[in-house]
Amino acid sequence: MSDQWTDRLSEYLDGELAPSVRAELEQHLLQCAECEATLADIRRVVGRAGSLADRAPVGDLWPGIAQAIGATPPGGTKAVPIASARRPRRWSFSLPQLAAASIGLILASGGTVLLLHPGAARPGVAPVQSPSVINVGVEPRAARGYDAAVADLERVLTEGRGRLDTTTVKVIERNLATIDSAIVEAERAVESDSANVYLNSHLAATMRRKLELLRQAAALISAAS
Amino acid sequence: MLLTLTSAALAALALGQDIDTTVQAARGDRLDISSYGGDVSIQTWSRNAVRVVASTSSRGRVEVSNVGAVVTVRTEGRRGPPPHIDLEITAPAWMRLDLSGVYTDVKVAGLQSPISIETVQGDVDVSGGQGNVSLQSVEGSVTLRNAKGRIEAHSVNQDVSVSDASGEINVETVNGEISLKHVDATSLEASSVNGDVRYDGPIHDGGRYSLTTHNGDIGLAVPAGTNASVSVSTFNGEFKSDFEVSVTQTHKGRRLSFTLGSGSAQVTLESFQGTIHLARPGKLEEGEDER
Repeated sequence: MSDQWTDRLSEYLDGELAPSVRAELEQHLLQCAECEATLADIRRVVGRAGSLADRAPVGDLWPGIAQAIGATPPGGTKAVPIASARRPRRWSFSLPQLAAASIGLILASGGTVLLLHPGAARPGVAPVQSPSVINVGVEPRAARGYDAAVADLERVLTEGRGRLDTTTVKVIERNLATIDSAIVEAERAVESDSANVYLNSHLAATMRRKLELLRQAAALISAAS
Repeated sequence: MLLTLTSAALAALALGQDIDTTVQAARGDRLDISSYGGDVSIQTWSRNAVRVVASTSSRGRVEVSNVGAVVTVRTEGRRGPPPHIDLEITAPAWMRLDLSGVYTDVKVAGLQSPISIETVQGDVDVSGGQGNVSLQSVEGSVTLRNAKGRIEAHSVNQDVSVSDASGEINVETVNGEISLKHVDATSLEASSVNGDVRYDGPIHDGGRYSLTTHNGDIGLAVPAGTNASVSVSTFNGEFKSDFEVSVTQTHKGRRLSFTLGSGSAQVTLESFQGTIHLARPGKLEEGEDER
């Protein structure tokens, strides 16, 4: 699916292409459904970034996640002023990097705010510099970050399950199993067709869904404490 | 000063008895309800006041207050968690509502204001709402009618149904169906893991519509004259359309795309292993029933 235009889609969305290049790319998009689909996926990620609520973290999971994905800068993470974080960030999404970006986005939205796109910035929010989360040239890192985040949240659920009604715990676990089953099926599908844009984004979306449910469970435990 | 504040804060504090109390509300005040368990029913009237009717046992109490532009209704237990207490509340239609519950079924009718409801074990049924309307239940179903604005309706373990509503719409569930009927969405994101997703409503030029599921069917009603670029993706599923479409692109892995009219709107339909079905308005459920 990768062609000469794939890595320029983010620049296109950012409005950073010269008019002539932009026109050429738009012409290409009319003929290349793969690029068109990838562009739609990137737009969806951006849209999601803009609509993510700044939920308070149940616990400070970021240090563990950052360490797992190698995103911890020397001296640890620190908040920076919005102004300094608003410099345009050049994307370099391609598949399967898109999947990693999508997962990284949800990893970062729990307690840390990620400015994936300048347009996603919201007033009054101090982002944490965590560029590695979306530096998706390192998908294995993002995968480790995902695994670490899931492990953290599963530990919260295990340790805090006594604070929830047993019916609620059963419902959450049943739905987690449903999602896990979907993830396994999607992973097998990706193995059979690794260049399939849909399968990669579907896998990422399903993994994201698991994180969201675990986070929701952790929030319930926190509220019940 | 302290005495005045205390008087204002405790407009009503009922312990182990029936209560029927009314507190005044000024335009712009917010209604904040916290109910541990029981049915909460909210309806509207023309008065700028909030009426709370409840029956409590000796183990529970209901606190009603109006402080700092917030009318608060809270159920509490004398020792430990509050018992189930049913609340019947009447409020002005303009009043913004924030409600959180645990074992709480919620029914709201007539509010024309922003609404936020979260419950764990209970159904949410709302008619009305304007602006930001956010409804969430973990174990219960979520039903919304006659709302307008930025709508979020989320469940985990049950169905989500939105009808006769308009605006930017985001609906999701894990283990349930999503039904959007007579909905005028300017943008739509509807997603389930283990359930069908159906949308019957206009597709606006420039809008973005995404219907996705893993283990369910997708149904989209497409009005005549729709301008949309449609992307269809599945892995083990099928695609069928009740009307002719000219597929412009097919891709490996059961993916195809086509354009309707000018192609202005972006429509994404994805089912990992279900049927993706295009129908004309009003025919979607007939088509689903035929299967």
